[in-house]
Amino acid sequence: MKNRSSAILAAVSGVMLVITLYLTFLWVPMERTMGVVQRIFYFHVPPFFVASLAILAGLVASIRFLITRDYRFDDLAVSAIEVGWVFDSINLVMGPFWARPVWGIWWTWDARLTSAFVLWLMFAGYLILRRAVADPSARAVMCSVVVIFQAVGGVIVYMANRWWRTQHPQPVMAGGQGSGLDPRMWYVFLFSLATMLVLFGALLQIRRRLERLRREIDGLRRTVHSEA
Amino acid sequence: MEENFKWLWYAFSAAWVLVVAYLFSLGRRESKLRDELESLKSMIEERQRK
Repeated sequence: MKNRSSAILAAVSGVMLVITLYLTFLWVPMERTMGVVQRIFYFHVPPFFVASLAILAGLVASIRFLITRDYRFDDLAVSAIEVGWVFDSINLVMGPFWARPVWGIWWTWDARLTSAFVLWLMFAGYLILRRAVADPSARAVMCSVVVIFQAVGGVIVYMANRWWRTQHPQPVMAGGQGSGLDPRMWYVFLFSLATMLVLFGALLQIRRRLERLRREIDGLRRTVHSEA
Repeated sequence: MEENFKWLWYAFSAAWVLVVAYLFSLGRRESKLRDELESLKSMIEERQRK
């Protein structure tokens, strides 16, 4: 049943992805100053929102694990963080290809970009920590605590270009007076975000399936060792 | 304009490479785990038969 729902989600996200590409390349109006390269926006910003949602899901699951010690929450946390890391990587990788033609540089260590990079390292650190700690109980507790710090990192990244002056543009959405998007740009942005959320859901289900398999294997290994 | 298309192409290619690599990694890990699960199950069955 769960395999079927992840397959349905994957198929829906595939169709939505094709529609998003059509909207991004053929439907949305050309931005006046940056031209065609501004279309990176529709695949650069939504992955950051999805990564933020992944951190939120990981945070809630980690806190619930710390309260209940139910390993299903730990499974959800690691799955959300790993898939979120992929979306965060997409956001970070696409950014420099937009920066290079528009700013003339690939990267700069301003508050927004630096905090985004630190957050990416925190995602990676969480996943490395999971491999480094052998004891499942200690691993789950340590990783749950790391996610709490990661959530603080996520808030700092989001607020960085509001709190400090940065090379990265000031907020275009919900950025106050003078900010905003053409309505058609909004539609495409929201559709792209919806597409990424569905894709996130599909990948999350597939990743949780792996974690369930791993737990089943751990249980069988214990049985084999106790019989030996 | 053509210069900008180049950057757009690079950005989207990089994103696709990441997604495809992750899907490939998920598939590889799942098949490895399923193999391990099957071998453990057959090991337990064999022991029970003895």
